[in-house]
Amino acid sequence: MRKFILKNRKLSIVSKIIIIMVWMLLSKIIDNEIIFPTVKSTFASLIDTIKEPNFLNTIKYSLIRSIIGFLISLSLAMLTGILSSISKIIYNIMVPILKFLSSVPTMAIIILALIWLSNELAPMFVGFIMVFPILYETVLNGILDVDKDIVDMAQLYKVDKITIIKDIYLPSIFLNLSLVFTSTLGINLKMVIAGEALAQPKYGIGSNLQLQKTYLNTSGVFAWIIIILLIAKLFNYLINGVKYLMDVDRWK
Amino acid sequence: MKYKVKNITKCYGDLKVLEGITIDFDPNRTTCILGPSGCGKTTLLNIIGGITEKDSGEIIGFQDEDMSFVFQDDRLIEWKNVYDNLSFVLKGKMDRKQIENTIDKHLKLANLKQYKYYYPNNLSGGMRQRINILRAFAYSSKLLIMDEPFKSLDVNNKQIVTEIFKSLRIREKRTCILVTHDIQEALDLGDKIVILTEKPAKVKRVIENTSIASRKPENRIMLGDLIKRELKI
Repeated sequence: MRKFILKNRKLSIVSKIIIIMVWMLLSKIIDNEIIFPTVKSTFASLIDTIKEPNFLNTIKYSLIRSIIGFLISLSLAMLTGILSSISKIIYNIMVPILKFLSSVPTMAIIILALIWLSNELAPMFVGFIMVFPILYETVLNGILDVDKDIVDMAQLYKVDKITIIKDIYLPSIFLNLSLVFTSTLGINLKMVIAGEALAQPKYGIGSNLQLQKTYLNTSGVFAWIIIILLIAKLFNYLINGVKYLMDVDRWK
Repeated sequence: MKYKVKNITKCYGDLKVLEGITIDFDPNRTTCILGPSGCGKTTLLNIIGGITEKDSGEIIGFQDEDMSFVFQDDRLIEWKNVYDNLSFVLKGKMDRKQIENTIDKHLKLANLKQYKYYYPNNLSGGMRQRINILRAFAYSSKLLIMDEPFKSLDVNNKQIVTEIFKSLRIREKRTCILVTHDIQEALDLGDKIVILTEKPAKVKRVIENTSIASRKPENRIMLGDLIKRELKI
């Protein structure tokens, strides 16, 4: 297993080197900073971006929006998921809402969000409409996946309802959630940034991307992409770190 | 306390599973319910346990009584270690210190003390089944209900688990109901053997298996043959 992991890492480094080489090659062939900036100018832009006085604020606000939005999505998904598993009425009320969210083009909902909401709230809402359905399904499946035989066992032994919920249902929900945590956090961050690009709040990575586009500063856009990649990577490390500390997979 | 089921009938849709089942369960003895696979034995146990509704008939003595169960499949909670799996059913019944003592005592009896903090995934099928049985014995109750507890075990494990069952059985007096389709198991463990028919299950014959005479090998063979004839094997 360990050998496999090492091998994987080597391949991933090779892949990164190839990407950078292709980038260098393309920028040389195209030879136009506005259409395709060189690695050098991108790094110069990256350093300029980091040196900007509002750099940390920009990242901070995007992260805050992303995290608050995610927490709202998560709590609502927990609430509606649990209620749906208990009540047929709520389950059936949720069906058209989820259908709506999954079949109406995201861009259409984003435009509505821009009309209805403030430019601070709209990016969060954009993240919410993408992430909420996934989290809701995950919570619901976590409850429905619970082995009925185990619940029967608990009932035969007259284990009280609160203990059954706490020791059987909640762990099952969290186990399912832990599998989609990394991906949904990533999607949420991307969507919040997309929302910012459109809603233009004062501080935000998306607002900055849009600004660079306006000035035709393509190397600035590239620089922000690198920063976003690093933030996503950091998120990943953080979640894996928390998973490791909590030892969530110890029973597997 | 006298335990009894009287005239129990149960249908699933058009399918009649149980028909007029009447059985007396003698206190502190083991009653074996023997019948072909899939004849409705588990349904009967679920009715006794109160998780399946009966269509008609009477259940006497079982209501409000604490019952221990040994299941065919071990029904351990995968994300809880052995200790937590056992304490899961004990929580409402005793305080923390008592739980710890009870679990330690039973793990020791089954020679599983070193596996106290193992997760079910890291235990063999035989060990998991032993924990399933320990859970039933650690839970204080007058009634022990077992649904084919040895079915999924290989010969070796079956012997180990049977021995543990017997030794625990001697230590603690309980009224046991053992459901099985294995004649030897019924002769080995049952004080009374109730033979059920194919679907819909009816009581075909009740055989007492307590007298010293029936422990003799030749009598056992005779009893075994009798049961085989009744089951039409």
